[in-house]
Amino acid sequence: MAKRIKQKRNGNWAMWAMLSPYLFLLVSFGVVPVIMAFLEVPHESRVNPDGGWDAFKIVLQDFRFLPAVKNVLTFMAIFVPLTIVFVIAMSLMLDLNPSKWKKWLRLSYIVPASISGAVAVLVWYAILQPTVSPIRTPLSWFGITSSDQIWQTEKLVYIFAAMAFFAIAGNWILIQFGSLQSISGEVIEAARVDGCSAFQIAIKIKLPLIKKYIVYMGVLIFAGGLQLFVEPELLNKGIYLGIAESWSLDQLAFELAFTSGDFGGASALSLMLLIPSLIGALIVIFKTDMFEDANVSRGKNKEA
Amino acid sequence: MKKKYSIVAIAGAFAIAGTTVMAMPAQAAKPSITIWVDAPRLPGAKLYAQIMKGKVDVKVELHAQADLVQKVPLFNRVKKGWPDVVFGPPNDVSVLRDADNALALNKYAPASFWKDMEAGNQWCKGSDGQYYCVKNDLAQTVLWVNTKLMKDFGYTVPKTMAEFEKIGLDIAKNHPGYSVGALGAQGAYSSFLWPSQCPVNQATSATAVKIAPKSPKCTRATTLLNNLISAGAMSTSAPWDADFIKEYGAANKVVMTIGPSWFGEFVIRPASSWNVPAGQITAAPMPIWPGEKVNYSGEWGGGIYTVSPHSKFPKEALAFAIFMVSDKRNVVDVKNPDGSKGAPTFPASQKGNALWKAKVSSDKYYAADPYPAMLEQSKKIFSGEKPVSYDSNSAMEGTFANELKKTKDAQAALEAFSTYASNLAKQLGYKVSTN
Repeated sequence: MAKRIKQKRNGNWAMWAMLSPYLFLLVSFGVVPVIMAFLEVPHESRVNPDGGWDAFKIVLQDFRFLPAVKNVLTFMAIFVPLTIVFVIAMSLMLDLNPSKWKKWLRLSYIVPASISGAVAVLVWYAILQPTVSPIRTPLSWFGITSSDQIWQTEKLVYIFAAMAFFAIAGNWILIQFGSLQSISGEVIEAARVDGCSAFQIAIKIKLPLIKKYIVYMGVLIFAGGLQLFVEPELLNKGIYLGIAESWSLDQLAFELAFTSGDFGGASALSLMLLIPSLIGALIVIFKTDMFEDANVSRGKNKEA
Repeated sequence: MKKKYSIVAIAGAFAIAGTTVMAMPAQAAKPSITIWVDAPRLPGAKLYAQIMKGKVDVKVELHAQADLVQKVPLFNRVKKGWPDVVFGPPNDVSVLRDADNALALNKYAPASFWKDMEAGNQWCKGSDGQYYCVKNDLAQTVLWVNTKLMKDFGYTVPKTMAEFEKIGLDIAKNHPGYSVGALGAQGAYSSFLWPSQCPVNQATSATAVKIAPKSPKCTRATTLLNNLISAGAMSTSAPWDADFIKEYGAANKVVMTIGPSWFGEFVIRPASSWNVPAGQITAAPMPIWPGEKVNYSGEWGGGIYTVSPHSKFPKEALAFAIFMVSDKRNVVDVKNPDGSKGAPTFPASQKGNALWKAKVSSDKYYAADPYPAMLEQSKKIFSGEKPVSYDSNSAMEGTFANELKKTKDAQAALEAFSTYASNLAKQLGYKVSTN
């Protein structure tokens, strides 16, 4: 008995030791900032002279808030489904046909993914600027011959969606391809023997088996898209001054803090932005069996 | 347990040692200042640090112009970190005063300096008569003229805005592909709306501003712009946008354009920009709006130096600004990375300006001396536009310029700007009047 307790204690100790580096980071860069942000909210500022929790209301009533919500939601309405559908389709196709090309195909998915953030802004500026663009002839077919036809605030949702899509789609294709590889060959073989076509295997067998990875991807893409910041900010500050002023919600938070000096409002907005991401994370943890893999497979082993 | 205590003791000892080490420099008698400048001001600031070696420790840091406005709330929160003297865009003086980070400077420089700056430093003067900044340069608009194209096409330099419009429309008709300017960024504001006295940022007090896009002083400007845009003689891009440079600037197809005094050295001349050949460009006075008595200018930029009230050495900090605006070693002699020499912009100090005049007037690049027109217009910057506590320039370059690109309608763009700027102003407690 005593031995068992000791063993358990050792086990706990090992677990804590393994967890502690992450816990340390989580507390220092996750929990503490959230608490600090929360404590920051009621501070006085020029727009909230008496201080207090009105900061939330003031941010919600800010004239830039609703346009920013609209921008981000429109951006996500294009970017999230496009990415998910494209990634699934590409990874299923990649999984379908093992060939000597596969290695190069995989490389080709990674290359655009390495062009993200600051670099992506420059690359897309060059692509969409009719005077220097490598695709200026196709652009001219659509009647686009000058930069001011493209670089308008209203068209940014499409441009940012394209940037974000190319920046992450490749990586996700490889990850989903990896998750498809984890499906046991026997299952596929059995389906094939039962008369499934390749298409049916993809839709009815493979897709349900990697469902949790897809949900996981969806949540991460959603959370990432919600926090769009680098692309509009760089475009706004570096290329077309003022074209995307307070365009996204993160930019508005930044603007509130560093142009208006309203740290309370910025914190309030940041905390509000945390909520949808948190809900997303909770969905992944409780509504998918993403993190119960070990138990499930252990159970399966027993049955076998 | 014992071990733990010893660690605490050691840490404590270090902490105590640390404070003594930290405390020591404060006892030194030699003043030290930290300077923030942008890239065009960097060679001058570095030169100053070199000159002052032994007398003042000068630490020069390269920062984007608006950096301080973004960081000052943080410095105020932690109560340290403020740079002593900073170069920034002109509107910052109001924002920095609100953030309690612009020192009243009068008593830190001799009366002779303020006399020298009197004409050029009105922007920095608060309603209490104190100067809260030192103007680096004036960015008064003038009419930049390509004398060769004007001659080839048989035009004379316009004296009135009506003539300016007439020539523009004639160019569109008889010389398509040539241009009379680009309106993007702050072009429409500084070259047309401001000189026309359109109330865009007319702060009447610290808490009241007039933004009146429907005023006749505005509509006469927007009507003229709309005519020239729809005729095709004026572009809604910025003068440095790639397509404008390619189609008009570098192709040497800008017949004339209203622009600030730094256009010559920054936009028209550089090889990487319009690269207009030598012997073709000069500056003429602003054309006058019909019915007016004065041919006012607007301003595009014209940076300022501010000194922090938290500086331990305000006098030494201000001395740097004085060096930059009036010392020959910066205004005329300092070597810039591109090979040119001296300050590129029109100095706000009379003394500095006289030095600069000698440099520009003898410059063979210009077809005729551009200085007289610049000097005349430097005294005619319409003073109704004032610094405000919100970021009006970004709204101009964002809302206005983007709306103009989209609708090609300057009046619609001005009204969109007004809505946005009014919102910004009201949020900070301004009373906004529209007439």
